[in-house]
Amino acid sequence: MIEIQDALRKKEIWAIGGGKGGIGKSLITGNVGICLARLKKKVLLVDADLGGANLHTTLGIGVPEMTLSDFLNRRVENIQDVIIKTGVPNLSLISGAQDFLDAANPNFAQKTRLLRHLEAIDVDYILLDLGAGTSFNILDFFLFSDHGILVVLPEPTAIENAYRFIKSAFYRRFRKVVTHQGIKDLIDAAMDQKNTMGIRTPFDLIERVKQMEQEVGEILELEVLKFKPKLIVNQVRTKNDIQIGFSMKSACRKYFGIDLEYLGYVEYDDSVWQSIRSKRPLAVEYPFSRPARCIERIVHNLLRKEQLTASMLF
Amino acid sequence: MVKKIDDMNFYELLEISPAAGTQDVHRAYDRVRRIYDPNSIALYSLFTPEETARIRLRIEDAYRTLVYEESRKEYNRMLKERNELPEPEPPASKRRPVPAASAPVQRPPGPDRAEYRAAPPQTPPLDDLMAPVAPAAEPAASATTEFNGPAIKALRERAGLTIRNIADMTKIGSRYLEYIEAEHFGKLPARPYLRGFLLLYAQALGCDSERMIADYLKRYEAAKPK
Repeated sequence: MIEIQDALRKKEIWAIGGGKGGIGKSLITGNVGICLARLKKKVLLVDADLGGANLHTTLGIGVPEMTLSDFLNRRVENIQDVIIKTGVPNLSLISGAQDFLDAANPNFAQKTRLLRHLEAIDVDYILLDLGAGTSFNILDFFLFSDHGILVVLPEPTAIENAYRFIKSAFYRRFRKVVTHQGIKDLIDAAMDQKNTMGIRTPFDLIERVKQMEQEVGEILELEVLKFKPKLIVNQVRTKNDIQIGFSMKSACRKYFGIDLEYLGYVEYDDSVWQSIRSKRPLAVEYPFSRPARCIERIVHNLLRKEQLTASMLF
Repeated sequence: MVKKIDDMNFYELLEISPAAGTQDVHRAYDRVRRIYDPNSIALYSLFTPEETARIRLRIEDAYRTLVYEESRKEYNRMLKERNELPEPEPPASKRRPVPAASAPVQRPPGPDRAEYRAAPPQTPPLDDLMAPVAPAAEPAASATTEFNGPAIKALRERAGLTIRNIADMTKIGSRYLEYIEAEHFGKLPARPYLRGFLLLYAQALGCDSERMIADYLKRYEAAKPK
């Protein structure tokens, strides 16, 4: 299986986000990267959490000399200069550590330059570790990637933010495919949950757009079908927590009309906390711990383009 | 396509295929009802309590409709009129022209066949399978010879059914169906269980279950090492 994929080598970009902070985005990114590197894939991790970077810490690397902000501010021209080696073979990193205060808000030109350079790098997988929140930069990185992966915790706060994130990403994507200014305004207005037009769900929006211009509405419907974010539930403690992933999948189907793919869950375990305290990556320090095994399973699901099914649990 | 909850049909609501069996309906209902529980945190911030309550009502409706054969059939008919139900799959239509497997026994639409209606709604009514056959199409084998493994297999193949189809209809493991056809008596379960299997299998094929059971068990007894 893996050999076949090697033959069809094409670079994939995965973005890991989730809206809320502190839900394990960096931890999952780092350890997914290590798992992939162990499968002999060339992996580049990019800490796109501008302004709050700590991916290097989950990998146990000190503050690097060259970071993403050096590239964004054109202090180095070539992106190769900011790529640093990690201790793991096949795994390299572009850190965002200790960036300048303004680095958190790259402008459009900086963003496109970064994405253009990322496209040209010779690796198998690029993993983008996104920051918290739903700012345009984060959403753009998420939408640009081949696979957008959402991390949630089985807690109302994280779930609320995840839905918020999906909705924002969704509407931003809508906004990019339409050219008509009137419809753009409508989408902006619909983003406001308390809008006066009675648009509550994406379905309402599409219906309204169809009334304005049938064709544009149909384009948006196609976009809905193409949008397939993936889901990881982190810090799972009980069987019911695992179930939340399936519930969210169903709710997204019914509310947004999108297919959320449930990639897997990561069990809650002290080994995670211990590995961070010792500043060594989980997959290196405790490779046989339950969370590390869960992450391996997620990587396998990603590579095989599979997802969890409810029947596995009952 | 993209559909609002209110426009979803009952199958979409319960997230099952229109071919799902009654068991699946039960299971799906259980699952979906738990997802749309008022306390489910997976819905947090997405649906208002009123919306959740409405969805729950629809789920109850869906379950009540799909779990009873009569109302489900009625509902399927309605969906078909609205063109929402996909046409029966090709294997199903392939089955239709086949003359009844074991026509010799002109059973009236028997009571034991009624259970079959619970089978996937897409499959044509089994009455088609049992339709009175033109004498010309009379299968010589089944009428005269006894029901042994190969004969049963032949009947099944003539009906255009695979082992898998039968397994889906009867919920008997395909392994046992194969043993029955191959007459691996040693691997078949004890007599009462086998009898149950044969009954279901005969009903699935639409042939005379009593004769099939009697014939087959006779062979089973004879082959049994004593």
